Amino acid sequence: MNNNATKQRLNLAVNYLSIVLILVIFYIVRNSDIPKLYLLLEIIPIIMVIVSFINVFGKTGFWKLAHPHKDELDERELLLVYKVTSMSYGIFSTVTLTVIYCYALFLKGPIDVVLAAVLLYFAHTLPAAIIACRKKMV
Amino acid sequence: MKSRKIYNRINILRKERGLSRKELAEKIGVNFQTVGYLEREEYSPSLDLAFRISEFFGMPIELIFSTQPLRPLSEELMRLKKGE
Repeated sequence: MNNNATKQRLNLAVNYLSIVLILVIFYIVRNSDIPKLYLLLEIIPIIMVIVSFINVFGKTGFWKLAHPHKDELDERELLLVYKVTSMSYGIFSTVTLTVIYCYALFLKGPIDVVLAAVLLYFAHTLPAAIIACRKKMV
Repeated sequence: MKSRKIYNRINILRKERGLSRKELAEKIGVNFQTVGYLEREEYSPSLDLAFRISEFFGMPIELIFSTQPLRPLSEELMRLKKGE
């Protein structure tokens, strides 16, 4: 059981770090004189995102748990989804406010589409990610 | 007020009837992982689920669930026998 939990957390870390890497490559290429061709380097973290996504969310069933169809969940699972969704709301709000604040302070510009897409991905995967991180399911 | 731990005899009752967790889960209307959590006392059922379990096993709720650690069934049987 512990082995599985560690694997899940590792895959989750790979998933989110790959997203950050995509962002970093994008901003480096955009804000420097490096040829746009270097954006092709993003293919590697994109593949890592897809593989780790399947490992941590797809194969485990956590994605289905956090995004259920109506009446699919029993009372324990409903309670779990309610708890993780509440936690996700708090975490996402904190992270987004921090990002917006940093942007306003240091970059002094509007948030671009790529960062918005990353935040949306974060918001959408966060409930399933919290389930993947928790030792106990309830 | 913090909720109390609920002890239960679901595991032993299920095994007595030769049921798998999946079979019991289908009978009481939950997913089989939830039966596991119930048996390990890591999840306390709602009143509705407790009644469904009680009706399925054909036993009063108080013989299946308790807020105090449950005595082994063999001890309960001896106690009842002495009380006859």
